[in-house]
Amino acid sequence: MFRRYLDKERPFGDVPLPVTIVLVLALIAQLIWHGSQAQIAPRAEDLPQPLSPGTYIIGSLGEPIATAKVLNLWLQAFDNQPGLSLPLHSLDYSVVIEWLDTILELDPEGHYPMLVAARVYGSVSDRVRQREMMAFIFDKFSQEPEKHWRWLAHAVIVARHELKDMPLALKYANALADKAAVSAVPYWAKDMRIMLLEDMDQVEAAKALVGGLIVSGEVTDPHELDFLKMKLAELEDRMTKSRQDVDK
Amino acid sequence: MRNRLLWLSLLVLAISFGLVEFIGELAITEHRVTQVSILAALLRINAVIMIALFVVSTMLRELNDKTLEMIVAMPIARSSYYLGKLIGFIHLALIVTVCFSMLLLLYASGSQVLIWSISLLLELVLIVVLALVMIFTFRQMPIALTGVFVFYAASRAIASFHLMAMYPVIAHSSVSQKFIERFIEVLTWLLPDLHLYTQTEWLAYNTGRFEMLLPLLTQTLIYVILLSAIALFDFYRKNF
Repeated sequence: MFRRYLDKERPFGDVPLPVTIVLVLALIAQLIWHGSQAQIAPRAEDLPQPLSPGTYIIGSLGEPIATAKVLNLWLQAFDNQPGLSLPLHSLDYSVVIEWLDTILELDPEGHYPMLVAARVYGSVSDRVRQREMMAFIFDKFSQEPEKHWRWLAHAVIVARHELKDMPLALKYANALADKAAVSAVPYWAKDMRIMLLEDMDQVEAAKALVGGLIVSGEVTDPHELDFLKMKLAELEDRMTKSRQDVDK
Repeated sequence: MRNRLLWLSLLVLAISFGLVEFIGELAITEHRVTQVSILAALLRINAVIMIALFVVSTMLRELNDKTLEMIVAMPIARSSYYLGKLIGFIHLALIVTVCFSMLLLLYASGSQVLIWSISLLLELVLIVVLALVMIFTFRQMPIALTGVFVFYAASRAIASFHLMAMYPVIAHSSVSQKFIERFIEVLTWLLPDLHLYTQTEWLAYNTGRFEMLLPLLTQTLIYVILLSAIALFDFYRKNF
């Protein structure tokens, strides 16, 4: 097949020698030039401020949803820069929140920003940053309880078991219960304040949350279900290890 | 088909499919919505670029090969030539639309894909007519293509421009600001409402309804007639 194309060409010998020499010299010059350049060192970049949603809409020729999805993935991967892996808590969370707000404005029906707020940026070991993310979730829940209740349910668990801040957990659980009259918050979520008062351990609480989410049919995405199950397995593993330590 | 449009469409489909499958693996949640949103946006912009390039390059070849001069010398009305070309290119737009819609069926419901596809076809029809106007007027590929893409970008984004001009973050009352506001307002009257066409939201959140297509069809008809009139006006005045 390629012979047909090769046969159309004239032989290599027909190329004037100076042209061949220039070609080889230029290639060598390129290799020398590249070799003389300083090695590129990985350098952490700060998270830039987001532009206004209108700018993204214009820039994408009127594709806010597709832009929001691309920005989701970009933000999610920002901690993995070329040659570097930054800890999430090294990011400026006030800027992260601005990004999440921008993405939600571009795609109000999307849940992606809430998921990463709860389970990615809200899962760091830095308590101050965790609080920032939980406050963001609470703020969004207050604006649209029907849409964001399940993320506040997660915030209740984080406040209780990771931040160990009972008043904060109760504040969130009460908000979940109070909005119940006017929203579609299910029974198990409304009952979280009872669970708090009964002082369940972390794995059981997480199991209740995951089980409730699955039963409610709110979570249908297989990737998200896998993600939740993975989180649960991690928690159970941690729990088993801590029990073994106590036994020793 | 000499330009291998069908092969190019299949190549775009294969690359897009690979890309969105990869993106689907990256997404923690909403992976189907993420995939379909990015795929729809990619396919739409690719379809627009491909059709614009195809129309402009084909017509330019006819101009350079003197085929057009030969046809004009025959007892054929210039309007018949124009309409023949228009209908031919619309058929090609239909082929591209059908090819691209097939892939979307993997990620979205059939009815939503159908609504999206009809809207894409209407959008491509506008691009075909616009490309014909530009090539008849300018007769050079860089200028004609720039004209098509600037017009297309302005039509897609004009609603956002208008909103930003009407409700600025910091209000100014300078003459230049007033001038820009008025200028953008005039543009909104002149440009087609392309931001209403082929919305990704339909596929992502199943919000498309067939009745939404009626205003798009009306807008397309009006604008196709307007642009065709411009193209014919210019075509009849040309000396070959």
